[in-house]
Amino acid sequence: MKAFIAATALALGLPAFAQQHEAKPPRPGREALTIPYEKYALPNGLEVLLARDPKLPVVAVNVWYHVGAYDEQPGRTGFAHLFEHMMFQGSKHVPDDVHIALLEQLGGTDLNGTTNFDRTNYFETVPSNQLATALWLESDRMGFLLDALDEKKLRTQQEVVKNERRQGVETRPYGIAQEKFWQTLFPAPHPYHGKVIGSMADLDAATVEDVKAFFRKWYAPANATLAVVGDFEPQQARALIEKYFATLPSNPKPTRPEVAPVKLTEEKLVRHDEKIGTLPLVIMGWHTPPYLSEGDAIADVLGNVLGTGKSSRLYQRLVVDKGLAQSVSASQQSLGAQSVFTVEAVARPGVSSDALVKELDAVLEEMRRTGPTPAEINQARTRFETQMLAGLQSVGGFGGKADTLQSYNHHQGDPGFLVRDLERYDAVTPERVRDFARDMLKPTERVVLHAVPSPTSPSPAPSKEKP
Amino acid sequence: MRRLFLAVSTLALLAAGCRSAPQPTPEPNQAPAPEAPATPAADPEAFRDQPPTAGPSPELVLPRFEQAVLDNGLTVLVSTRKELPLVYVGTAFAAGSASDPQGKWGLADLTYKTMLEGAAGKDTLALDQAFQNLGVSPSLGVSSDGAILGVRVLQRNTEAALALLTQVVRQPTFAPKDFERRQKLQLAELVRALGSPGFLAQRTFLDVVFGAAHPYGHPTNGLPETVGSVTVRDVKAFYEKNVGPRTTALVMTGDITLEQAVALAKKSFGDWKSKAVLPPVPPAPPTPARGQVVFVPKAGLDQTIVIMGRPGVAAGHGDESALDLATTVFGGFFGSRLNMNLREDKGYSYGANSGSDARLGVGPLTASSSVRADVTGAAVTEFVNELKGLRERPITPRELEPAREGLIRAFPGSFESVEGLGASASELFLRRRPLDEYARTVAGLEKATPAEVQRVAEAYLSPDAMQIVLVGDPEVIQQQVGPLGLGKLVAREPAKTPAPKP
Repeated sequence: MKAFIAATALALGLPAFAQQHEAKPPRPGREALTIPYEKYALPNGLEVLLARDPKLPVVAVNVWYHVGAYDEQPGRTGFAHLFEHMMFQGSKHVPDDVHIALLEQLGGTDLNGTTNFDRTNYFETVPSNQLATALWLESDRMGFLLDALDEKKLRTQQEVVKNERRQGVETRPYGIAQEKFWQTLFPAPHPYHGKVIGSMADLDAATVEDVKAFFRKWYAPANATLAVVGDFEPQQARALIEKYFATLPSNPKPTRPEVAPVKLTEEKLVRHDEKIGTLPLVIMGWHTPPYLSEGDAIADVLGNVLGTGKSSRLYQRLVVDKGLAQSVSASQQSLGAQSVFTVEAVARPGVSSDALVKELDAVLEEMRRTGPTPAEINQARTRFETQMLAGLQSVGGFGGKADTLQSYNHHQGDPGFLVRDLERYDAVTPERVRDFARDMLKPTERVVLHAVPSPTSPSPAPSKEKP
Repeated sequence: MRRLFLAVSTLALLAAGCRSAPQPTPEPNQAPAPEAPATPAADPEAFRDQPPTAGPSPELVLPRFEQAVLDNGLTVLVSTRKELPLVYVGTAFAAGSASDPQGKWGLADLTYKTMLEGAAGKDTLALDQAFQNLGVSPSLGVSSDGAILGVRVLQRNTEAALALLTQVVRQPTFAPKDFERRQKLQLAELVRALGSPGFLAQRTFLDVVFGAAHPYGHPTNGLPETVGSVTVRDVKAFYEKNVGPRTTALVMTGDITLEQAVALAKKSFGDWKSKAVLPPVPPAPPTPARGQVVFVPKAGLDQTIVIMGRPGVAAGHGDESALDLATTVFGGFFGSRLNMNLREDKGYSYGANSGSDARLGVGPLTASSSVRADVTGAAVTEFVNELKGLRERPITPRELEPAREGLIRAFPGSFESVEGLGASASELFLRRRPLDEYARTVAGLEKATPAEVQRVAEAYLSPDAMQIVLVGDPEVIQQQVGPLGLGKLVAREPAKTPAPKP
């Protein structure tokens, strides 16, 4: 995790200093893919990323706390996400009803907080004259959350999160199946076991003391990065950041757990009795290299070749030619500790999940033998380049500029990694994809889940499907 | 039309982030450090007690849409933005699922999807390959008022993308083999959708509020029976009748000018001819008093979906702005009455919201949530109480003015991407609104008086005229909602097609 070493070095209580980053120049035609930014740290360790973009009179404020579901204690699954809810519940100087309401009322957009395995983030895009208000709100919960915490707030948010879980897992087609799939890929006590949202029992068990301890350990300025991107005046922004964040006390940057990688030594089969979804589903998954490490970009390209578009290998065979599947997908889910490559297919009515597995295997076997064509690789590259450029259209929100800087900073210690990220894709060749499929996606080292709708399920069957 | 292309889904059940229950305002100043100075006056952190004062609001930047019409009637819509070398190239078609014939629901959707299955001598795979070579897959969205088909490409791929779209629009193959494959996919997709509680709720809601005979009374993708009855001849006939230069807009946004777009349009579409004309505006449906509560039984479901609603207004209606403000205060923001009650006070739900979907014709006005099954009755009661509350506790200036400011000031943030601009331009065409619609919307929001907002709140959000649809465990619903006296409980089996209303 060299990303964290780099970040720690910056956070050692030195006086605020700025690094004007000259990112590595992109190759011709990609000039628009650089984000000029400034990075510095406050004496309490808070990292700051500034990037000016005056296209529209709005500014994005985006805070990443370098803590996610990965850092939870056993028996406290879902805690990082539950805690994220508490961060909207008011703090010492911000009354309970105010945080989101205030941002909505001043015209905030792209406003939310999210938790994944690797990090937790909070963001809003506000009219450019409201930067101070956004900083005031973010700084207050970073510095003064516990002053306003009580039992009732926690109890209410436990219920809200349990509703979120029911909505996203129990009552969503294949929600429970996907949870079982992850639990099988990462057996307990691995911190990627199950879903980020956690189990009902663990959610119920969380106490106010847990919330306090979690805040003290993980929500220190030294474990956070603030990004401000958009239409601001640099000197004024720096002064405001100093005013609102510099006096917040900090703890030392916490050490993240060391977790040994999981390795499957056999195929694990799971058969799930599906209660909500109406068609059989198959998910296959393999452990693959972490985000941005060797092999990760190759896996992205492979996912694209296999599953994106009607002419992709899987869609062509299972949907167009044989008419067995309703949908297919393949993707690398890049994560900080260990990634997962998945292939998924939903069957047509009357088609069994076993029939799908057979066809999926045939396509994968062909890929392991012959690899993709150069044209397939080029299509994937153009797609990723277009997507990355498109992400830079927004200053904030999911995948916007602020998030892009934060993500590279979190995982790589280098907010300007975008150009080098693209170079990873430039280096992918058909042979490397073929070898990856052969060496990493072995049929004997995977999880295969079948979610089969139960015959007693109240779900309907098609009344008049054409033969 | 304030929600732009993100038109309110009747089932926008997911709320953002998180917030807390009411509590008194904070205590007096206290320094955060353990060694706080003894004299409170010296508290260097006192500035945190109050929200910062904002500087003057920046000038409201709204996108500029430009338009040209070719001799054959084709509309060209452009919004130029040059920061990044990206262009959205798309077409908007004026006929949507509201143009589906009775018994052929899903025809519009199936027609547009079949257009992407082969064109100008390219079969399904070759056509897809051609798009893939540009690094994109075409996106197609079919709604009741029309369809939007487009791609976002690197600027250098603009002409190639337009050439492909032109083939899809002007020379669809409609090969029987491609049609049948697409139809089977559509049918299976409906089987999949019928497992989703949200889809069941939406489908039933449309029928209950608009009636099966109304153009807005059915889901865009139809029902198994109706999609199964569509033939390739129907698809060709729909295309002939509805797709032509007078019913289509070429939409280009991003790194492109109107002059460039018109030149490209002439080359691609200048000689296009067709008899297709704009479909009629759907009629306003009646708004009867509620006589029943309709539910879709899903035994054992852990949550119950609640949708309440009625016909709202059409885009451009005089009440549109006031209604947007009223629904925002009621359920449009996170801090709205409904969400604060159901989520933050009671913990019944992950979120609840409300909104008015102003379409070409009168669109639905909804309030919805997904709630814990065991509080179904209590949650429905809170919905009704909040609706009644709009009369009993009129909207205060403290609620109205921030809603007004919030809606207006959020506009620039909504127009950041070329595909967002493209979708917004397309919506202007589909709803037949003028190019300065967003400026008009802002003006309407600025001008709506408190009295008007209160009037429309009472007129449109009266609980008596709100139809109620629930999806959930039938026993829970019978036991908890039956005694509330909201009307006769009527079950709609999920597998059956709703019978046309008398």
